[in-house]
Amino acid sequence: MPAAIEVVGVRTAPRASGQALLIAPALCLMLIFFVLPYVNLLLISFFTQSHQAPYVRVLTVANYERLARDPFTWGVVWRTLWLGAITTVISLVLSYPVAYHLARAPRRWKGLLMILVVSPLLVGVLIRTYGWIILLQDTGLINQMLQGLGMKRLPLMYNQTGALIGLVHVFIPFMVLSLTGSIQGIDPELEMEARSLGAGAWRTFWRVTFPLSLPGVAAGTILVFVLAISSYVIPSLLGGFTVLTVPILVVRTITELFNWPGGSAFAILFFAITLALVWLYLRVLSRITRPVV
Amino acid sequence: MAEISLRGLTKRFGNAAAVHDLTLTLASGELVALLGPSGCGKTTTLRMIAGFETPTQGRVLLGDRDVTEAPPEKRSCGMVFQNYALFPHLTVRQNVAFGLEMQGVRRDVIDRRVIEILEKVGLGGLNKRYPRQLSGGQQQRTALARALVINPSVLLLDEPLANLDAKLREEMRFFIRSLVREFHITTLYVTHDQAEALVLADRVAVLIDGVLQQFDTPEAVYRRPRTVRVAAFIGLTNLIPGRVTARSGDRLVLETSIGPLRASGPADLREGMEAMLSIRPENLELGGRDLAAPRDGVNRLRGVVRERTYLGSLFDYRVDVGGDSPLRVQGGVNAVHQVDDEVTLSFDAAAGWALPGGWG
Repeated sequence: MPAAIEVVGVRTAPRASGQALLIAPALCLMLIFFVLPYVNLLLISFFTQSHQAPYVRVLTVANYERLARDPFTWGVVWRTLWLGAITTVISLVLSYPVAYHLARAPRRWKGLLMILVVSPLLVGVLIRTYGWIILLQDTGLINQMLQGLGMKRLPLMYNQTGALIGLVHVFIPFMVLSLTGSIQGIDPELEMEARSLGAGAWRTFWRVTFPLSLPGVAAGTILVFVLAISSYVIPSLLGGFTVLTVPILVVRTITELFNWPGGSAFAILFFAITLALVWLYLRVLSRITRPVV
Repeated sequence: MAEISLRGLTKRFGNAAAVHDLTLTLASGELVALLGPSGCGKTTTLRMIAGFETPTQGRVLLGDRDVTEAPPEKRSCGMVFQNYALFPHLTVRQNVAFGLEMQGVRRDVIDRRVIEILEKVGLGGLNKRYPRQLSGGQQQRTALARALVINPSVLLLDEPLANLDAKLREEMRFFIRSLVREFHITTLYVTHDQAEALVLADRVAVLIDGVLQQFDTPEAVYRRPRTVRVAAFIGLTNLIPGRVTARSGDRLVLETSIGPLRASGPADLREGMEAMLSIRPENLELGGRDLAAPRDGVNRLRGVVRERTYLGSLFDYRVDVGGDSPLRVQGGVNAVHQVDDEVTLSFDAAAGWALPGGWG
């Protein structure tokens, strides 16, 4: 085979190998720290559970069978996906106007605005989450204010609402950045043309701006969705014990129940489900946006 | 069909005035070119008419309707941009149908009118293509069809031919003119290309640094410019500073560094005033060293050819006549003069046009 390649690709070979060399470091990094651990996880998920050791090297599909049969599994999977979906939708709705104005801002303002958008990421996730606790807890700032105004306290923490607030806050920058790039690529004259053809601002948005920004919407929503369903710190701190997501359950299965194969199987199963969903989503989107891309 | 009327239109960005006190009225069905160098405020003017910029002062009237405060979608301006602004996610048919859909026209009527207009602009059969599958000329035609199909009250064109190659540009000029005639639609055509403006327009409005310099027929703008800036901007010209020493009727005599010259000029140019003489290179006649005495009213200068460039249909000479800079002369390929030849230059008093004031 190598000989055949050399013969066919005499001309392109040096260039191709040069390009391959450039991506080699990234590829190595991914292989060692991402692919190999995943392969390891995949292996463990087929090993047998044991009470004396993390696992016994006897292949079995029992872990998956148990998971698939347990309605609790599917309940947690469903709630995780649902939390991810709501987070994504809220992030999208909140981020779009920000991204639009960022994309259309004068160049000298753009840098500053960009820094402001990214600034939540400059604070570590733990510190930021504790910040939210101060604001959201039953005796927190917001509830103190509500009480001061003579209103009832709102349950903002240790429930899905708390987790949602925390997640949306962290992921908005990712969404904004994805959308901004895409919106920037839309010629403002297209919007002017639509207006002059009789479309109001609202219809111009839905008929021209939004369809043309779909590549950015796709990137942003996938990014936020995947990050949201795999997040651990925020749902566990702000959701308390009432919000049980797949990552939390996987960690508990492994660290508290010492069921390595069971936890691994759950992680792999969820990975597969996520992959399938993203693939499906992209297919649907690409069908809509085909003329653009 | 309505006319466009701009009254004292001013647009300031910070302290800089992009457009200053512009008053301009286009008659119904008239094609007016708004001509000026880049950054002169043409596009800002167009955008104020279309409703994308709010004037700092002044009014915009379309027909007898004051639209200064109206949003763009309520103005019924057909627009064609320099890069056509075709919706990339829509087919040619969908692009052209867009405006009609916004008006709530019935589907079968839309289909009929789209087909009609596409035939008219020579795009029949391309309705299923996407913009990126079209050539530049076809994109241009699509943009025109899309703007015209909604029966706009006025048509606004922003450098519509700037992205086409020279040959296609030439062809599209005539196409646009015939289209505008056929639809009898009042059209403002923004361009920096003076040849385009002169060929296309019924009247040309010359805008320089946000100030309307002249609004007149192409011929008048070219032959009887009102300001030195117009003379210098439109076409090639030789500018010779001087002072008016005598005047009778529309003829006058200018005292210049290369001697007294007979010329013509506007009525407000009086004796004793500073003036600038503009002579187009094609109005200077080049002759041998020893010519018979000139007719009455013809200027005669002696000079030496410093440079000669072949332009295909004619030669471009730079002739030193003793002034500050050599004069440019363009002439036929019959009588050829060599560099360093001593020559005479002559021009009729009617061909020299004096303008009030010096440079600027």
